[in-house]
Amino acid sequence: MSGGEATLFWILAPLAVIGALGMVLARNAVHSALWLVCTMLSLGVFYVAQAGPFIGMAQIIVYTGAIMMLFLFVLMLVGRDASDSLIETLRGQRVAAIVLGVGFAGIVGAGLSRALAGTGAIGLDAANENGNLQGIAQLLFTKYVFAFEVTSALLISAAVGAMILAHVERAKGEKPTQVDRMKARFAPGSYPGPKAGPGIFATSDSVATPARLPDGTFAERSISKILPVRELTSEESALKGTEK
Amino acid sequence: MDPTLQTFENDVWWIALIKVLGVFVLLLLLTLFTINYERKVVARMAVRPGPNQVGPKGWLQSLTDGLKLPFKEEIIPRTADKVIYFIAPVISATCAFTAFAVIPFGPVVSIFGQQTALQVTDVPVSVLVVLACSSLGIYGVVLAGWASGSTYPLLGGLRSSAQMISYEVAMGLSIVAVFMMSGSMSTSEIVAAQGDGREVSLFGLDFTAPGWYAVLLAPSFVIYAISAVGETNRAPFDLPEAESELVGGFHTEYSSFKFALFFLAEYINMITVSALCTTLFLGGWHATWPITLWSGANTGWWPMLWFLAKVLLCLFVFIWLRATLPRMRYDQFMRFGWKVLIPVNLVWILLLATVRVLQTSDLEAQTRFTLIGAAVLVVVLVAVLWPSGKKAAPAPSLAEQIAARPQGSFPLPPLDLQVPPSPRVARQVAERQPADVSSDRSEV
Amino acid sequence: MEDLKAPSIDYAAVAPILILFGAACLGVVVEAFVPRRARHAVQLTLALLATLAGLVVVITQASTRVTTAVGALAIDGPAVFLQGAILVLALVSLLLMGERKLEPGGAFVPQAAITVGSEADERQAARAPGLTEVYPISLFAIAGMLLFVAANDLLTMFIALEVFSLPLYLLCALARRRRLLSQEAALKYFLLGSYASAFFLFGVALVYGFVGAVDLASIHTAAAESDRDPLLLYAGLALLSIGLLFKTAAVPFHVWTPDVYQGAPTPVTAFMAACTKVAAFGALLRVLYVGFNGLSWDFTPILGVVAVLTMIIGAVLAVTQTDIKRLLAYSSIANAGYLLVGVLASGERGLASTMFYLVAYGFSVLAAFAVVTLVRDADGEAGHLSRWAGLGRRSPLIAGLFTFILLAFAGIPLTSGFISKFAVFAAAMEGGQTWLVIAGVISSIVLAFPYLRVVVMMWLSDPSDATPTVSVPGVLTTAALAIGVAMTLLLGVAPSLLLDLTTGAAEFVQ
Repeated sequence: MSGGEATLFWILAPLAVIGALGMVLARNAVHSALWLVCTMLSLGVFYVAQAGPFIGMAQIIVYTGAIMMLFLFVLMLVGRDASDSLIETLRGQRVAAIVLGVGFAGIVGAGLSRALAGTGAIGLDAANENGNLQGIAQLLFTKYVFAFEVTSALLISAAVGAMILAHVERAKGEKPTQVDRMKARFAPGSYPGPKAGPGIFATSDSVATPARLPDGTFAERSISKILPVRELTSEESALKGTEK
Repeated sequence: MDPTLQTFENDVWWIALIKVLGVFVLLLLLTLFTINYERKVVARMAVRPGPNQVGPKGWLQSLTDGLKLPFKEEIIPRTADKVIYFIAPVISATCAFTAFAVIPFGPVVSIFGQQTALQVTDVPVSVLVVLACSSLGIYGVVLAGWASGSTYPLLGGLRSSAQMISYEVAMGLSIVAVFMMSGSMSTSEIVAAQGDGREVSLFGLDFTAPGWYAVLLAPSFVIYAISAVGETNRAPFDLPEAESELVGGFHTEYSSFKFALFFLAEYINMITVSALCTTLFLGGWHATWPITLWSGANTGWWPMLWFLAKVLLCLFVFIWLRATLPRMRYDQFMRFGWKVLIPVNLVWILLLATVRVLQTSDLEAQTRFTLIGAAVLVVVLVAVLWPSGKKAAPAPSLAEQIAARPQGSFPLPPLDLQVPPSPRVARQVAERQPADVSSDRSEV
Repeated sequence: MEDLKAPSIDYAAVAPILILFGAACLGVVVEAFVPRRARHAVQLTLALLATLAGLVVVITQASTRVTTAVGALAIDGPAVFLQGAILVLALVSLLLMGERKLEPGGAFVPQAAITVGSEADERQAARAPGLTEVYPISLFAIAGMLLFVAANDLLTMFIALEVFSLPLYLLCALARRRRLLSQEAALKYFLLGSYASAFFLFGVALVYGFVGAVDLASIHTAAAESDRDPLLLYAGLALLSIGLLFKTAAVPFHVWTPDVYQGAPTPVTAFMAACTKVAAFGALLRVLYVGFNGLSWDFTPILGVVAVLTMIIGAVLAVTQTDIKRLLAYSSIANAGYLLVGVLASGERGLASTMFYLVAYGFSVLAAFAVVTLVRDADGEAGHLSRWAGLGRRSPLIAGLFTFILLAFAGIPLTSGFISKFAVFAAAMEGGQTWLVIAGVISSIVLAFPYLRVVVMMWLSDPSDATPTVSVPGVLTTAALAIGVAMTLLLGVAPSLLLDLTTGAAEFVQ
């Protein structure tokens, strides 16, 4: 590692680890997702630093940009207060999981550090000889062409699966579309505009007095149904003269 | 002289620093300019004068607004997620600035005796850097919406995340065609690839047609332009902040300096996508035909002028769109992205790849034409034989519809109702003066 | 930069894989353009034809021994044999999936996205025809399995693993009855399966760290020749094995099996029990025999412990089960243990006996699940064992067939179960793994108990009101059941037909 790369590593590596821990430990799902974004971003920068600019940028665009955005989308749809219940279904499960997890990480970490101690990176220049992008293209379209093409099958089945599991197919006419609703609203026989309020076009301005329609009939629907019908006294119903 | 990737590795640190600072200042100035530019252009299109009070012809309006904003009262909602509420605008603004690092402004020039390119840096995948920055920038919008702890911003953030995922795909696909033609993802190399125009002789007039990808790859260019508007949340795709539905969208709860950062980010994003559009499709800093008659057009600092001119032209289109088009409905917008832009793009890329393969393969001319002819034939056959939809019965006339109304329908006035002209109409027309926009300082 | 040269691919050798993938894509297109009424018939015909075509091509390629696609695929004896086995078993499973006589609309849910228990759900459960997307999805799974047994480098193997796993996760969630159970099963399978895939991938990374390549031939060479500390290689192999043993349902990576077998639609369970086992063991055989055969001294004791645990735990837990599908699930776990014995026997004999076992077990288990689909009441299949009491009196034919299959599972002579167990144990004895054989025999005795209990229950109890009726099977189920039973009998009476084939095919190319 050159000086610059080492500095970068010692700044971003703790960030990546903190991000990973934060993702597991954060109580709020959105915070969890953001910690994961932090880790993924650090990894992307690592790839760039290790002479893999394409894979680094793809990591940032695809993982942090698109996939984590989808996660956030779902989390926001579900709601901000949705956090896991902290009751253990199996007793002692959490302790066991922590012990086993830390143990496994310890074994793998120790093993890796022992196995890789003093091993340098080789073959980087040869791999990037014709340019990083061109190198990747060459591998994808020669040595791993079959695997590369077969991933399309994976994507198709994923897409079909998402459709099956999430898409409710509605028969035509089961749910009116916006166009249908607009047509129904303006169809002959229905009333497109806001209805006249009570007390309008009427002899009195009381809410109990129905509005009049253009041809002079009463619009019964303009009166609220919960209003009690009240008998007016003759004084009340009399025309009010102007002040003298 | 065209820069290569090697040029950037040779830069000394203080040159890099100068360039970074230069871009930063330039972006701030461009933002201030663009805000005024937009207000004035929109005003002209609406036949009114626009800002004309502060500074010469009103050109300092945005500067004063910008200075005023940070001194406004800062309001943080009680339900806000404080930390994220605070970082969101920072993410937005930072990513907006970062993307500009790989945009080439001009060829190699001499700064204080150092030969350097007018571009902060370039990497083999610099177009992807721009895409990465724009996709991270959306986090600012989405998180702002979420962290505000209120409904309208949340809806704005939701819309923004869905919009970003959909239109980023279309944008990325439209750029693929450029990669295929230029054989590179580095901005400086893409610009260089568009540098060579073709000699065209038309009606006895010889001129050099631009090697712009906007011409060669017109479908990609159109799709890029559309998705760029979607990506920057500008009208008619400004659904995350739709005032008519969501108050202010994601930034409803933001005020003071944080709001200013969002404002800044929006304009810088606009400038960035315009600059990227210039770089990818409009020949970058290369001058076009009438100017290239002057041999010095593409040397020294001049190209920066052509570059900025093209960027301003793109920005004008943004503003024009805003002044002209109403906001789209959300479902129509998503449908347009997924069912039109992306499929069209895929078919176009497939077509282009076929053409490229036919060009490079050593097939005989006859085989090549047979292949093309067969493909065209298939397309024509499919188009001809495609089952046409059933013709709908003609709609009944208005009179028939009225006659068919059920008993008890809403009463209608007679169809031949004559409304007498109002006596006031003539007077109003006479009193009204035509709007005068020729003078910038109207009487106040 | 020099021009890329298109890699040479032996299209004849990979044709079965390509046919299946092509048919699956065609199936997706059919889904989009063919009118709904005709879809089921079209899709089923397409799937059966594609599988049949694949099988014919595999048979014509029987003597192919090549590596192709720049070494990514090895179409050799075991690959061709296992591909053929997968295709035959898949054909029978597709027959089960296509059955629509037993229940109006078939075994699959019409619309998986409708909320369970809602009004719309009740409406669709009654009569709406089931999803037809299951056929293209199954074809993708079959194609992935074909690729999995032929993958000659770990990267291709990983992608094949995902290609056949993802459709299986989906299929598990599509049961028409007891949908919550089915969805839970799919979720469990998906989560644990992705976890196992992650282990596999991590293993690939570690192996790559040691070898510098992912193809099995390089791994073989590096393991033999490298003088570096082989820790990375061991760790990589361990993680790889976890990924593969998960798919084979070996203890302690078996916990998903009972839940998934119970929750998934029964035809899918049959498909998983028969074909996934073949694919997973095929890949395990290739990894262990081709890539890591130099390390067999190191991994045999550990995998031996896994095998013993699998046999014993599978057999003991099978005794306690009260649901027929869970019982068959634990029996499948125990059978994974016997198969592991065959794998660890090493050598040509071990390979041949394992391949024989896979085919024989596949046919029996398909027939067993075919019977499970038949025994039903108003709420669908009658899974609980107590409901099977007295079935022998009511429908002696079905009960007789089921008895025969259970006896085959128990390893009674004149059935394929006896021959296959015998072959595996004999190979293990020859390979010097006596302790595995002892454990195998003990667990076989234990495992015979639950089978015989079901037999006794069916024949010696009186039928009660709760005893469900046996539905009259349609043509498709009848065919599947007949093929399964006939093969179980045939391989028990005349095993040499298949034994010769496996012995002839039991050699990997590097």
